[in-house]
Amino acid sequence: MKIKTRTNATLWLVVLLALPMLARAQDVKIPPDVEKLSARAKETVEVTMDGPMLRWASKFLSAEDPEEAKCAKLVANLKGIYVRSFEFDKDGAYSAAEVEALRSQFRSPAWSRVVGVRSERDGDNVDIFFKLENDKMAGIVIISAEARELTFVNIVGPLEVEQLADLGGEFGIPKLNPKDLSKSSSKAQRGDRR
Amino acid sequence: MTRMNMDKDDSRMDDALRNALRRQEAPDGFADRVLARVAQQNLAPNPVRHDSWLRFFTQPIVRWAALAAVAGAMILGVHVYQVRRERAEGEAAKQRLMLALRIAGTKLQLAKSKVNEMNANQTTNRHVKE
Repeated sequence: MKIKTRTNATLWLVVLLALPMLARAQDVKIPPDVEKLSARAKETVEVTMDGPMLRWASKFLSAEDPEEAKCAKLVANLKGIYVRSFEFDKDGAYSAAEVEALRSQFRSPAWSRVVGVRSERDGDNVDIFFKLENDKMAGIVIISAEARELTFVNIVGPLEVEQLADLGGEFGIPKLNPKDLSKSSSKAQRGDRR
Repeated sequence: MTRMNMDKDDSRMDDALRNALRRQEAPDGFADRVLARVAQQNLAPNPVRHDSWLRFFTQPIVRWAALAAVAGAMILGVHVYQVRRERAEGEAAKQRLMLALRIAGTKLQLAKSKVNEMNANQTTNRHVKE
């Protein structure tokens, strides 16, 4: 009886200790498998900016520069931006299984895939996942797997779809219409299933 | 020249020398005047020390003020250095942030172009079937 009580107490202790770790695991940042790819990459871009760092960096964004002002507005409520981009000097430097392992982390009820593009012609695959909390966007993950480039973007925090469109339209890139995204997602996913 | 003449000349020279080198008493008050002059010279300030700018720092308040000024300048220098370093780090962080947004934007654009491509293909296929 005593032994059983002790075992129960130990189990509770383990559960209590593991809770913060589980809570942290819910908030996906950079999967460890992605970090390993940098060893094989020709060029690696790593950007890790959590909340305080984002707020500090945004202080240096000029309000007079329209581009920087938009960026400041965009990142105002974000909790983090994590980017890993790997450029390889030859095709097939990473396996499909590695990318699939990456994608599988976002096949949970918290995440919904809004865009999934599979191009057999040039081998460019792009997935966009939204995290919704109370019908509001709480994060976005972009996984772009190209022949010689693999990019993982995780933006954590409340991000309005309009702001997302601005993000796509900045830096000389045409604006991404949110309506196009929602329309195209179903078509793209249909194409993916094939 | 005879010997008698020579002796007369010598005697005259001796008289002249004796007259020139005879003991004379100092004028009245000479010693007092000399002592007074010496005392006056001792009292007078050193002309070299009087002209030196370093003498300015011999006063304690000036010394403390100079020390405070040096310390203030050092603190200001460190502060300026820290502000500049913080600004440089902030600019670098801003560039990283812009880069991250640029990459995210580029990939969103890639997704959009692919989706548009697929839409265009589907529309073409539909028209062909019709």
